[in-house]
Amino acid sequence: LRRCLVSVDMRLLEKSFQEIRRTLQTKDTFKNVTILSTLENLRSIKPVDVCCVTNNLLTFYRDRVFKDHQETSLEVVRRISRIANSFLHMQKTLEQCVHRQCHCSQEATNATRTIHDNYNQLEVSSAALKSLGELNIFLAWIDRNHQETSAT
Amino acid sequence: VPYAFCGLPKPTNITFLSINMKNVLHWSRPEGLHGVEVTYTVQYFIYGQRKWLSASKCTSISRTYCDLSVETSDYERQFYAKVKAIWETRCSEWAETERFYPFLETQVSPPEVALTTGEKSISIALTAPEKWKRNPQDSPVSMQQVYPNLKYNVSVYDTKSGRTWSQCITNSTLVLSWLEPSTLYCVRVESLVPGPTRLPLPWKQCISTLEVQTSTWKVKV
Repeated sequence: LRRCLVSVDMRLLEKSFQEIRRTLQTKDTFKNVTILSTLENLRSIKPVDVCCVTNNLLTFYRDRVFKDHQETSLEVVRRISRIANSFLHMQKTLEQCVHRQCHCSQEATNATRTIHDNYNQLEVSSAALKSLGELNIFLAWIDRNHQETSAT
Repeated sequence: VPYAFCGLPKPTNITFLSINMKNVLHWSRPEGLHGVEVTYTVQYFIYGQRKWLSASKCTSISRTYCDLSVETSDYERQFYAKVKAIWETRCSEWAETERFYPFLETQVSPPEVALTTGEKSISIALTAPEKWKRNPQDSPVSMQQVYPNLKYNVSVYDTKSGRTWSQCITNSTLVLSWLEPSTLYCVRVESLVPGPTRLPLPWKQCISTLEVQTSTWKVKV
């Protein structure tokens, strides 16, 4: 399973995010609230749950974050849609790769619910903005969990 | 002493300089305050937590940097820092950093490199760089433990032919056995970790392969 997303160009994704990170994070004024980075949440995901949590987070971004985000800057819109398309490609790649082996344990389901609960704490456009500003956490988590060397 | 009036200009260029998780906050003196005894106070914020915290070692300091490695040692969290200038009873507004994510932003120094040459070979032995330690006597932690897919970009420049050859490796030794004798080669090594591209910190050294050993035969007449 670890090799499922190895074909995804993570560098391009990270580059797209880096180009809009400052804009997104500067507009996010709620420093005391986090959507993804309750680290006990993501860091504690076991290898067996990586597929489910990846899929759930891709769905979270596709169905909530990208939809709820209101953006005026064309530059930012262009990069967010590039990221959104990459996520769609990632989700398709994952589905083809795992053929229904994407088992969701209670922990994986709880982790996903926590993220949605965090999201619901904020007004929707603020929540979307914050989630976009935290994409680097999700991308780093994917990088670590999906492309580790075969030795691990 | 409460500050009567906060009209001083803010410190500028406030940023984290991070190498192997040693995270030092740097800033520049506020403009227009030459020849004035300015001191600074630093606070930091753990993203997702509740409030700003004082950097105990950096209250009313006159230098323009503050080592926040201890405060930001959980490198998977994200942080902000801010600094304000103080002069007598006057102070500035806070100058604040962007959100700082050590895991994705720290620069990784090059590995330790040992070169051994033969007539037609150079052997390159690499040792992963060490992560910043809270106390010198703490046992060392390799950056390989922080980044399991830490790689090394090794390039070799042949000063005679002008050609450069490079390879990305994960293991710790590399032997180049197809070289020319008595030739100067310049070796360059840098560490590569996943995530956004970071400022490279290359290691460089030039070394010459040995001369061909001509064996002398003694002929008995």
